[in-house]
Amino acid sequence: MSKTTAKRARHAWLLATAAATMALSLTPASAQSVTLDFWDMMWGGAEYPVAAQALVDRYNAEHPDVKVVYRSVPWTNWYETFVTAIASGSAPDLSTGAGFQAVQLYDQGAILPIDDLVAGMDQNDFVPGALDALKYDGHYVGLPWAVDVRVLFYRKDVLEAAGVAVPTTWQDMRDAAKALTKDDHYGLVSSGDPGGMHWILTSAINNGGGLFDDAGKAAITGERSMEALQFLADFAADGTVNPASAGYVNDDARGAFFRGEAGFLLNGPLLPDQAGDVKDQIGIVPPLKGPHGDVGTVYWVNNVMVYNQTEHPKETMEFLAWWSDNALTLWTDGHSGNLPARKSIASNPYFQDNANVKYIMDTYLPIAKTMAATVGGTFPALNEIDGDGFLMSLMQAIWQGQPIDGPAATAQAHLEEILAN
Amino acid sequence: MSTALDRSGAPAWRDRARQMAAPEFVTPAVLLAPSIVLLLVVVAFPMVQGLYFSFTNGSLMKPGALVGLSNYAKLLATPAFWHSLQFSAVFALCNIVGCYLLGLGLALMMQMDIPGRGIFRVLLLLPWIVPSLVSIVAWRWMVADDKALFNQVITLFGGKPIYFLSDSTWAVTVVILIKIWRSFPFMMLSLLAALQSIDRSLYEAAAIDGATRWQSFWNVTVPQIKNISIVLCLLMTIWTVNDFDTPWLLAQGGPANATENLVVLAYRYTFARNDVGMGAATSFITLFILMALVFFLLRLQRRT
Repeated sequence: MSKTTAKRARHAWLLATAAATMALSLTPASAQSVTLDFWDMMWGGAEYPVAAQALVDRYNAEHPDVKVVYRSVPWTNWYETFVTAIASGSAPDLSTGAGFQAVQLYDQGAILPIDDLVAGMDQNDFVPGALDALKYDGHYVGLPWAVDVRVLFYRKDVLEAAGVAVPTTWQDMRDAAKALTKDDHYGLVSSGDPGGMHWILTSAINNGGGLFDDAGKAAITGERSMEALQFLADFAADGTVNPASAGYVNDDARGAFFRGEAGFLLNGPLLPDQAGDVKDQIGIVPPLKGPHGDVGTVYWVNNVMVYNQTEHPKETMEFLAWWSDNALTLWTDGHSGNLPARKSIASNPYFQDNANVKYIMDTYLPIAKTMAATVGGTFPALNEIDGDGFLMSLMQAIWQGQPIDGPAATAQAHLEEILAN
Repeated sequence: MSTALDRSGAPAWRDRARQMAAPEFVTPAVLLAPSIVLLLVVVAFPMVQGLYFSFTNGSLMKPGALVGLSNYAKLLATPAFWHSLQFSAVFALCNIVGCYLLGLGLALMMQMDIPGRGIFRVLLLLPWIVPSLVSIVAWRWMVADDKALFNQVITLFGGKPIYFLSDSTWAVTVVILIKIWRSFPFMMLSLLAALQSIDRSLYEAAAIDGATRWQSFWNVTVPQIKNISIVLCLLMTIWTVNDFDTPWLLAQGGPANATENLVVLAYRYTFARNDVGMGAATSFITLFILMALVFFLLRLQRRT
């Protein structure tokens, strides 16, 4: 090839490349869409992620310039899932998560506050306390979307067959469990995973105690909390808790309860709606009175949080606002196991015509406290406490029938270590 | 002496460098380079970074300040560490003894001319081949509660159900048995290869001397497979101490931390407690213990 020919070929190649580059850069803006990654925890059964995906599809159809990619995240090892994603720079744009996740991740520099979004919403539409539960360091670190409260359920048919009345006090509960335990059926069934650990929180708060004292110091070995642990240990000593409980996960415990193998189960507020054929056989135990006359239970304000790593904060906030306004189908179609944090959604006949839900909203929610009971407020360590396994280990030890002093002291030391860090 | 290399008065390193640049050195270096780079990126760099983390007090999301050896001191003062170390030692010892005896017994059987030997060899490899997630979840299903398969068999014979995953002792037992089940195929295969390499004339000589089958086994077979046995036990120790899958997938280190080994403890520190310093310190203490064991066993092997 002559020099001239080679030069012409080179010029032609350069021109073609430049033309292609210009063509790409002049692509109409409407063909460039923003992609958002939305990670959503499993808030219900198999139908939940289907309903959530459908809601995302609706948003995508209404907003062609934004594409939200939905991903369902299991609860197993949820804490590690988000920690590794953030640490590796692959966090989503927004996600739902555990009750205190946004607070702790904000403290680690991973969360984008949503103050402007909250300012633009009707703050009175949120159930009392929900927004405050997500206010930390002067900022709103997450938007409440659901309230998860622990409720004690019973099997109407099982209690009726045994001639046992619905308990109203701790002693009644213990006696009822004894009366129901026979022929491989037990008074109550639980699990060794977070679902089982909630017995500790619920009972401690029920008795006017909790994980902390008024000064915010660890109080697992405090008087009221130890009474609560002993209350649980008494079930194990009586043999009235299913012996497999320490090794069960929440689904195992629910399965045993739905099969009628236990009389009582502590679970989320919409358990009956997830029970299929036995829905009508499930009743709600009125809040039990502790030995000092206290009532109470634990609850979490579950929320949606936005990550600092998002490249599209404006679009993310817009999607979040839309998701919050249109979340009703997560319950009507998805059968989410929580209660809505928005009054406008809670006023829907789906909830108001549901006697169980109405009862829980009127009776359990007013007496519910978060894990920060007695000290109040919210702080990052609560998420570590929620995700760490030490309370699960304590619960497993109790369900195994171990004396509570040793395991309680170990849990106390562990909690002190977390608070010290 | 070649004048090309005879640089009287030139530094020795320059001569060496020239030798290294010769084609017979360059080609192997180029061929080894990708593996070395991969090892540096995947092994060396994370190791150095992990060592650095072990001297800090931060999390994976937020690096902390240097705190010297305080993570190590705190770890050695923590009962959870000693409990995990104890369980790791028991786990490793039981697995080595169990899978060695089982593997050796099966290897000796596989040497015999029995019908279907080829099929048995394949079937016996299955526990090793099946992915751990699949096999351990299946085991969990078989032992989880009173309706599980094992308990159905137990109750069929008139026994009472055993709550394997709710009782600490049984959970430890099940973890060890599952690990032996997963490990024996490798042991069996390696020992079979070692047995097949033993010179047959040694057995003939023993037979001529009137040795019984047990005497032949003890005085011929065992010494011949001693070296490979030490190496296999060493490998199995390392793999067992570093096993995360079995205790985690079965019981998440429970119940009540009964099956929490050093690796699970390191995982919990790093991810559940957001303390990468303590997690890294746990990992490096595990590494130091294993290195000491390797050193000791290799010395033993050299002596034999």
